Amino acid sequence: MKNLFRPYLALLVMGSLMFTATSCSDDDPEPVDEEELITTLKIVLEPVGKTQTVTGTFSDTDGDGGNPPTANTLRLEANTTYNATITLLDETKTPAANLTSEVEEESDEHELFYQALDNLNLAITKTDRDNSQRPLGLKAQVVTTTTSSGKLRITLKHQPNLKVGANEPNREQTGLTRGETDIQAEFPVIVE
Amino acid sequence: MLALAGIYPAVAQPPAATMPDAGGIDQDCGLTISGKILDHDTRSTLVGATVYIPQLNRAAIADEYGNYHFHHLCKGTYTLKVTYIGYETENFVIKLSSSTVRDLQLHTDATTLGTVEITGSHVKEQAQSTETLSGRALEETRGLSLAESLKGIAGVTTIQTGPTISKPVIHGMHSNRVLLLNNGIRQEGQQWGTEHAPEIDPFVASEMKVIKGAAGVRYGSDAIGGVVIVEPSPLPETGGTKGEVNLVGTSNNRQLIGAGTLEGKLNNLPLSWRVQGSYKKAGNARTPDYYLENTGFEEQNFSGALGYKKERFGSELFYSQFNTKLGILKGAHIGNLTDLLYAIERGKPEGADEAEFTYEIGRPYQDVQHQLLKAKAYLLTGEAGKLEFIYGLQRNLRQEFDAHRNTAAPALELNLTTHTTEAIWEHSPIGNFSGSVGASTIYQQNTRKYSDFLPHFTGLTVGAFAIEKWRKDRLQLEAGLRYDYKHLLVKKYEQNRDLQKPEFNFNNVSGTLGALYDVGYHLTFGLSATSAWRAPNTNELFSEGVHHSSAAYEKGNPNLKSEQAYNFEASVDYYGNIRFNGKLSVYHNFIDNYIYLAPLPEPQLTIRGAFPAFRYKQTNATFSGVDLSLEYNLLPKLTLDSKTSIVRARNTVTDDHLINIPPDRFDNSLRYEIGEIGKAGLFKNAYVTLGGVYAAEQTRVPTKGDEDFAPAPDAYFLLQAEAGTTVYFGKQPIEFGITGNNLLNTSYREYLNRFRYYADEMGRLLMLRVKIPLDFSKN
Repeated sequence: MKNLFRPYLALLVMGSLMFTATSCSDDDPEPVDEEELITTLKIVLEPVGKTQTVTGTFSDTDGDGGNPPTANTLRLEANTTYNATITLLDETKTPAANLTSEVEEESDEHELFYQALDNLNLAITKTDRDNSQRPLGLKAQVVTTTTSSGKLRITLKHQPNLKVGANEPNREQTGLTRGETDIQAEFPVIVE
Repeated sequence: MLALAGIYPAVAQPPAATMPDAGGIDQDCGLTISGKILDHDTRSTLVGATVYIPQLNRAAIADEYGNYHFHHLCKGTYTLKVTYIGYETENFVIKLSSSTVRDLQLHTDATTLGTVEITGSHVKEQAQSTETLSGRALEETRGLSLAESLKGIAGVTTIQTGPTISKPVIHGMHSNRVLLLNNGIRQEGQQWGTEHAPEIDPFVASEMKVIKGAAGVRYGSDAIGGVVIVEPSPLPETGGTKGEVNLVGTSNNRQLIGAGTLEGKLNNLPLSWRVQGSYKKAGNARTPDYYLENTGFEEQNFSGALGYKKERFGSELFYSQFNTKLGILKGAHIGNLTDLLYAIERGKPEGADEAEFTYEIGRPYQDVQHQLLKAKAYLLTGEAGKLEFIYGLQRNLRQEFDAHRNTAAPALELNLTTHTTEAIWEHSPIGNFSGSVGASTIYQQNTRKYSDFLPHFTGLTVGAFAIEKWRKDRLQLEAGLRYDYKHLLVKKYEQNRDLQKPEFNFNNVSGTLGALYDVGYHLTFGLSATSAWRAPNTNELFSEGVHHSSAAYEKGNPNLKSEQAYNFEASVDYYGNIRFNGKLSVYHNFIDNYIYLAPLPEPQLTIRGAFPAFRYKQTNATFSGVDLSLEYNLLPKLTLDSKTSIVRARNTVTDDHLINIPPDRFDNSLRYEIGEIGKAGLFKNAYVTLGGVYAAEQTRVPTKGDEDFAPAPDAYFLLQAEAGTTVYFGKQPIEFGITGNNLLNTSYREYLNRFRYYADEMGRLLMLRVKIPLDFSKN
């Protein structure tokens, strides 16, 4: 009845396989070295002919999930012209990595859009240009008139071969609908 | 490898006493099988028909009364292969436990030629519904992806991610809930992702079989919705070298395919071999109105097999490699919810009007390699039965490159290694009982790089099963039981700082019960109750992040339990008739702890804006439906072929419909067999088919949660046609076929396509196929 032993032999073979499999080295994984990720958008508003510089920070340092992004309130003076400068940072790195230059280098594929929402009364004009003389938006002029309050939304869009031409009508509205959103920051604003 | 080394010493000296040829010595080897060979319809005897038993390499010829007989047979299972000119060759499997008289009936070629499109085995093996795609029906799918090839089976549809990625859907279930068996090994890629297509080259297959419904007892975990079995043809058993060359070219995405097979058997040794390879290249697909930018793909596959076969034992070694690089529609890389709504409003992908044809693949794209090494050995254990052992090693490397990084590194890399073993012992018939017992193991390790979307994990599954069949006269009863244990160890970084090592244990029992009643007159009734389970996948437990094509934020749930399915099916099978054949199956499937993505009330706010948030949850669900296939010969050469697939799925806790369930689908065609045309029958086996597919609008969508971003697309009808023939150049046959899909160039969208929110499906496509069978053994 030698035959009857054969199933056991097979099980033995299987057992040995299991052993070789499980004895494989099973090291702990290394943390993922994540690509540089924008965690923070800073806006510095310098008033022309006045001294009170206003700074806004929108940040989500723990990445997607976890805590929602935070932003401080921008308090602007009425009837004032501000020169706005945007800085993009990765604050998970120490020291924080400045990613603004990456957007500048790929200015033909990127654009920032500014929207004054909820009755906020602001006039915004982008002052910098990409290589094809289309607005980029890392620099802008923000003009206040009467007192008002609401939200300022700043959206950075990645638009490879999709940027709207410099002279196209409605280019701000059209531009917002194109490409992929890299950042969408919202600041409460009070013009007083 | 180890398996072979282990088996050889045991099988090297088979005891001579139980050799089938040594008849008369052993008491159990004096059995006889005899009977008449008959024409099925006229019941006339077929004098001179050949009956061949491949297991014994013995043949008999029906005498002047149509009688055949074999003497001195041992107990066991034998295949009787009956051939006769003008008749279909048929295989009858007989489990011999005592001397038996059995009449074998053949069908004439003329009647079966027109009717058999999807060939099922004529005698049903089990009560549960299975359907097989082979022969010409399979040839007609050459050039399509695995999932697209299976669409010809009632109850099977696909879920797509653009034109390059499609996965099979059985009775409304897919991905984790459909098990794929590639050459006897369960396919272990990253099946959980709906945008992860099966890494299987359909050119390997000579047969594709679909088991519809839960089949956990025989196949183990995950076989909840069904099983797709991809089988190559057996290695050659006669000497000489043979081969086959397939060439396919299409319009639309200008796909080119070259595939070849070469196989043979050494003349003086029981060694046979096969090498096979295929190359595919396609460019951007085109909808009726625009090109889908970046939807080309390239695939290189090859495999090799070596078999050693003696009368009582055999072994087989198989290696295959699958490589694909496939582009993902450029406009599908969506930012936040606002971007998705803009895309839906736009009605077509961004830059669609400027998109042109190109074979170039840009970002985003996937690069996937799948390797399989399989070793199999079997031993006929004489009176005891048959013992089989299979070992499989798979390595799946998946790299996904996204649209906005310009570094050479992918955004995600997953590396999955799987060892599977299975030992099955099929016992010889004892009285009216036949059956098998088996044990299997799966050991799996996943590592990841560049992204924490799916963490590192190690899994071990061990299972054992027993299945018995009792058959007497017209009734077959089946019962089976299986136990599985799964251990899962996950290694995951919280906020990329603290390493967490949660462990999970899952225990599950699956069962199956079935009854098959053969009424006679080519009519059988089947009833089955089957079950299957599946442990929650690591992505369901731990995924955390944004799915860019759907602009959704997914959260895993570490508290998930195993999913358990109970499937009930009743079927009627009316087969092998001259005028009318049909198959009806009605099923109802309960799934306890059904895992799904439930919408969360608050969107997830990120630096990129708001994303609708979903979390994996469990509920109870039901899937029920009807599959119907009909064939009706209107005229001797004209056949109407009709298939209907209807499925209804509900979340029974929220009392709502489930999302992403295939709409009702009706596939009808008329086939005309022309036969021979031209001088001296230059064109043989010519046929034309004209038909179409109608898919209804899915009106049964969830209404109690914000699960979808846009309504389900409209119903559509697609006109299809097909023609084929064999041409003889001297003695060399060449088979030609041409298929036309979406001939009216209809703009439509498929409900089960992730890109349906912003992109149309492919427009008109013509596909030309050439198959050249080669035989180097003659001349």
